[in-house]
Amino acid sequence: MKISRRDFLKYCTASAAALGLTSALGPLSKALAAGGGPPIIWLSAASCTGCTVSLANRILGTAPVDLADLLINTIDLAYHPNLMGASGSLAVDTLRTADNGSFILAIEGGIPTLYNGKTCILWSENGVDVTAMAAVNELAAKAAKIICIGTCSSYGGISAAAPNVTAIKGVKALTGKTTINIPGCPPHPDWIVWTIAQLLAGTNITLDSSGRPTTLYGKTVHSQCPRRSQAWATSLTQTGLCMGNLGCKGRQTYADCPTRKWNNGVNWCVQADSLCQGCTQSTFPDKFAPLFSTMGATPSGHPTVNPPKTNCTACHSSNPH
Amino acid sequence: MATVTIVDPVTRIEGHLKVEVTIDTVGGILKVTDAKTTGTQFRGFEKILVGRDPKDAVYLTERICGVCPVSHSMAGSLALEKASGLTAPSNARIMRNLVLGANFLQSHILHFYLLAALDYVDAPAGAPWSPSWNIDLMRSASLQQISGNFANAITMRRKAHEMGAIFGARMPHPAAILAGGVTTKPTSAMISSFTSYLNVLKQFIDNEYVPDVQLLKSVYTDYAQIGKGPGNLMAYGVFDLVDSGSSKLLKRGLVYNTAPTSVQAVSTANIKEMVTYSWYNNSINNLNPASGSTVTVDPATKTTAYSWLKSPRYSGAPMECGPLARMWVNGDYRSGVSVMDRHLARALEAQKIVNAMLDWINQIAVGGSVYNSYTVPYSKAGEGLTEAPRGALGHWLSTSASSVHAPTGGPAIANYQIITPTCWNASPKDTNGVRGPMEQALIGTPITNAAQPIEVLRVIHSFDPCLSCAVHVMRPNGKPVVIAKAGAR
Repeated sequence: MKISRRDFLKYCTASAAALGLTSALGPLSKALAAGGGPPIIWLSAASCTGCTVSLANRILGTAPVDLADLLINTIDLAYHPNLMGASGSLAVDTLRTADNGSFILAIEGGIPTLYNGKTCILWSENGVDVTAMAAVNELAAKAAKIICIGTCSSYGGISAAAPNVTAIKGVKALTGKTTINIPGCPPHPDWIVWTIAQLLAGTNITLDSSGRPTTLYGKTVHSQCPRRSQAWATSLTQTGLCMGNLGCKGRQTYADCPTRKWNNGVNWCVQADSLCQGCTQSTFPDKFAPLFSTMGATPSGHPTVNPPKTNCTACHSSNPH
Repeated sequence: MATVTIVDPVTRIEGHLKVEVTIDTVGGILKVTDAKTTGTQFRGFEKILVGRDPKDAVYLTERICGVCPVSHSMAGSLALEKASGLTAPSNARIMRNLVLGANFLQSHILHFYLLAALDYVDAPAGAPWSPSWNIDLMRSASLQQISGNFANAITMRRKAHEMGAIFGARMPHPAAILAGGVTTKPTSAMISSFTSYLNVLKQFIDNEYVPDVQLLKSVYTDYAQIGKGPGNLMAYGVFDLVDSGSSKLLKRGLVYNTAPTSVQAVSTANIKEMVTYSWYNNSINNLNPASGSTVTVDPATKTTAYSWLKSPRYSGAPMECGPLARMWVNGDYRSGVSVMDRHLARALEAQKIVNAMLDWINQIAVGGSVYNSYTVPYSKAGEGLTEAPRGALGHWLSTSASSVHAPTGGPAIANYQIITPTCWNASPKDTNGVRGPMEQALIGTPITNAAQPIEVLRVIHSFDPCLSCAVHVMRPNGKPVVIAKAGAR
């Protein structure tokens, strides 16, 4: 026997009120059943769980406003190894119930193929260890849509960094299936939630050549950066200047971090005087390493101080400073 | 005669871990009589790092774990600073403590309410919490205040990450921590915002989290006797109070089960990693991490092994690490070693940390130095010792003798070894056949229903392992076995 959703919401609402947390009352007071869309099966392959942790940082004025609202009122997250109540065969049964009909497959982490995939085993079924490779191959063939959460499942990411010790592949490279890629190390929670919301609404998502929604990944970080017209910094100890000369990868990286910012708008990498590491790109991290170098980041002949705001088309055809 | 059930995966843990338990009737009581923990994921970060720019290690290793990335940032920074003969400025030390502290708070809150609580508290209807294993409904009826805090816990751990991002740039995987200090230049607005978050979190920890854990402990008194393990506790210590690191909020030290109040110094020279029961080549057995190596073998060719985790041992002994070890070594908590003691020590540690952070935030000097520049030296080694929320974390780095890395030039990483806390806690048997702490803690646990051994989950979750986990009831040769009668083993 389980406590009903309504009773659960009652407890939560009372507790939130006792703490003075009015922000938590809005989504919970709606007391809706989980949305009517297809179930989501979330697999964790060779990952760090950072994508899930980032999802838990969701907060926005529009529903689903946070993780509780998402789970309680919006999606039917049938399988998620870090969040689900069930363990063992009950967990596998839950997955098998969900994959019997139309479902959305979300994958976090790269897919190892070394030793026939045995460096990453997800569950046991009928006495057999099921590898991430086997699970993804099987479920991708049946899924209505496939979302790759993070750079590792999209392209391999850090888990596939040279020498690619466990022969990791991204999901598309492994399965040949079309995937919607939400890269980022980690991805912003809004990118994940926006994409799931489009799929549940049946909206068609336009993807770029890297499989990313153009709505989210349509512009370079540099083109939206408030520092794009500033002089170039010569040291990490400076603040407020463009760090393209220190190794910032904002010119080659497509994401909306400068305008969306992270963690409820608190900050983002460049605002903290650190570098954009290029984490949403398919070539992250190897093409951008060493991170503290301008490897690939400084077009030859680019001025090293006070870059002008015009006549930069040689370096930035569509993205002026 | 009992039914044998395979249970896999265990959920609500980070990463991939499998546990096989043999359940037997002893003295008329169903109990765990043997246990094997198996790390079922290997990614090879140590091999990825060799040959790279040493400065990149901080940003690559923080991606080992999305739940404790700041601890890897810290260990990576400290290792390179040690190798380079460098100390970060006071402002950087304080801001690192604050970002790390923020991440401890989010991790501890996440662990109790979203990962561990469902082993005791009735789950709300609907995915992802239901269906779930049956728990003790009689006792869960008095724990409704804990389920009432699920949504608050989600809010609070998010706020802890927002707080950490003020100085860390973003969470998880902060961009602002690096060898030499931090990139963030603190302002009074940042300090004010951080303080506001701290006050909200302190209220939740004082008024909800700690009381909720105390309530759980008062209802599940039997779990103050279950899940002890070897009783050897080790902490590297964390939260430097001075720039040299010689004084910490939570001290470095270790105790043995035989003399639990006698805190001894930790010397990392006494650490050896054993691989007899791990899927690594036996040629790398028994190495100190400063000269360690990682040579994998195909699991199909080493059938005596059962884990991707190595077995770190301290002077040959398995050591438990984590909040209980830290609080015990520091003298803050010495009530016992058990499932409930781990939960309560973790909550009390959160309280200690949030209180300390309220002091530290006022020690930041606006306009003061945050970063000391340096040159990475050739042929140097450094160890970075710190704590993750779930226990002692060490990075061991050495740099190359010659210029390797184009285009920046300079030394590259010659060797990099990492021992994570879960490697200590969930380690397999060592070369001497001694089981790891979690394996030992599982043995003797009474089980009500072998088909859904919720008690096994309670023991595993008390360690807050950073691995996804699978529990098997052992089936030799893959065939169902009849659980032996009392005294047969």
